[in-house]
Amino acid sequence: MSNALVTLNHIDKQYGDNHALKDVSFDIQQGEFVALVGMSGGGKSTLLRLIAQLEQPSAGTITYSQPNLVTRVMFQDGRLLPWMTTLQNVSFNSHDAKVKARAQATLEAVGLSDFAAQYPAALSGGQKQRLALARALMADPQLLLLDEPLGALDALTRRNMQAFITQICDQKHLTTLLITHDVDEAARMADRVIVVKSGRNVYETKGAKGQDAETVARVAEEVLEVILAPEQAVTARA
Amino acid sequence: MDQTTTSPQTTHKARSFSFSWAGLLPFLLPILLIVIWQVSVSAGWVDSQLLPSPLAVIQDGIALWQTGELPKNISISLYRATTGFVLGGSIGFILGLANGLSMFSRRLLDSSIQMLRNIPHLSLIPLVIILLGIGETAKISLVTIGVMFPIYINTFHGITSVDPNLMEMGHAYGLSKWEQFTKIIFPGALPTILVGVRYALGVMWTTLIVAETISSNSGIGYMATNAQEFMDMATVLLCIVIYALLGKLSDLIAKALESLCLSWQNQGGASRE
Repeated sequence: MSNALVTLNHIDKQYGDNHALKDVSFDIQQGEFVALVGMSGGGKSTLLRLIAQLEQPSAGTITYSQPNLVTRVMFQDGRLLPWMTTLQNVSFNSHDAKVKARAQATLEAVGLSDFAAQYPAALSGGQKQRLALARALMADPQLLLLDEPLGALDALTRRNMQAFITQICDQKHLTTLLITHDVDEAARMADRVIVVKSGRNVYETKGAKGQDAETVARVAEEVLEVILAPEQAVTARA
Repeated sequence: MDQTTTSPQTTHKARSFSFSWAGLLPFLLPILLIVIWQVSVSAGWVDSQLLPSPLAVIQDGIALWQTGELPKNISISLYRATTGFVLGGSIGFILGLANGLSMFSRRLLDSSIQMLRNIPHLSLIPLVIILLGIGETAKISLVTIGVMFPIYINTFHGITSVDPNLMEMGHAYGLSKWEQFTKIIFPGALPTILVGVRYALGVMWTTLIVAETISSNSGIGYMATNAQEFMDMATVLLCIVIYALLGKLSDLIAKALESLCLSWQNQGGASRE
């Protein structure tokens, strides 16, 4: 029996003459970690924005398992409020004692409790992304959408953050959609990897989350091959 | 061991020494000018009737203070300045807010406001005198008009320049319209609004000086015009110094407001993981 949290049916999205998405259909199961991978401009971020209801599809439907599904997006640039401290960013400067206590606990969970009184400008790149993650986790989302959240980080911090996000998502049994152009990242973090190319979901495979480096490399290689292959060949494979 | 290493104590002493000099630096030029001025008059290089010495100006100030004339005129000027500033600032802020937030209001009002803004407000003096006479209303109205536009422009620009990505984040995180305003739009626009406040404070004094000089029977500007008729150069200079001091005081208040409201801008020096 399907336990889909979100289902996309024949989604099309057009911006004027630009056909950004063409007949995209897939679903995300409850508790699953799905990675959408592909080259820049392929339509990955558009898909995330549609799922987050920041935009509406030109055609097709997106069905959610319940009407008021709590969804949170963690953006690539963090989108932190520079005039609020770390704690205020997580609680949106709420004066409610319960919200503040919860924000403090969330900061502790992402290892930023010592930085509660600091402003985002005083944090490193990795810490800023942890803060963005803490803010996203505050609402106990049923669906977490990660829009290339680690794209601007150096290789070492990026690797640490990949492990950290995977661990948090597992602990909280979060249903997660990751957008990335890094095939290694997609293979390492996801249960399922979907390749998006020229506005279509052309291929999908099992991810290598929690598996050895060799398996991760094999999945990454398989995905990369699809991304780099000529379009007709991919359609045939899928 | 590295012999060239400086001890922390030495470094600290050197820093506090250089800091005290840096603190005095802004006063150096005014003090130097006053000393040159005093020496020029005392040595007879300049006619003291034409340019009284700083000491004569101070003595004149003390005498006027003791007669009660100076405090009375300063308080009248301050009253006009602050009333005009509060009125003009409030109108400019409300219009900036309305036009920044509402496309309907922007379409309705912005074009007309931009047209009026380009009229030099001091050119309205003859009109204001004919319509409102030379009473308090006329002078306060001129300050109000002068202050209104810088606050309007900066509030409007500040609100329309708020990062749309932050607005989208607020929407995605389910903030209400009021929460979006108080947590994202207003704090995001505040640095620009405060630039407008600082600029408007300067306009406030300029407008008041002109208004009091042309049509008044009280205030610092009136004191200066009256003194000019009697060739009382000490009082004329005293009025100029008072305007300079009031201007500096306004600037200090604006700076204090900025450091109070925008303390987050001075945070930095990212830590490393």
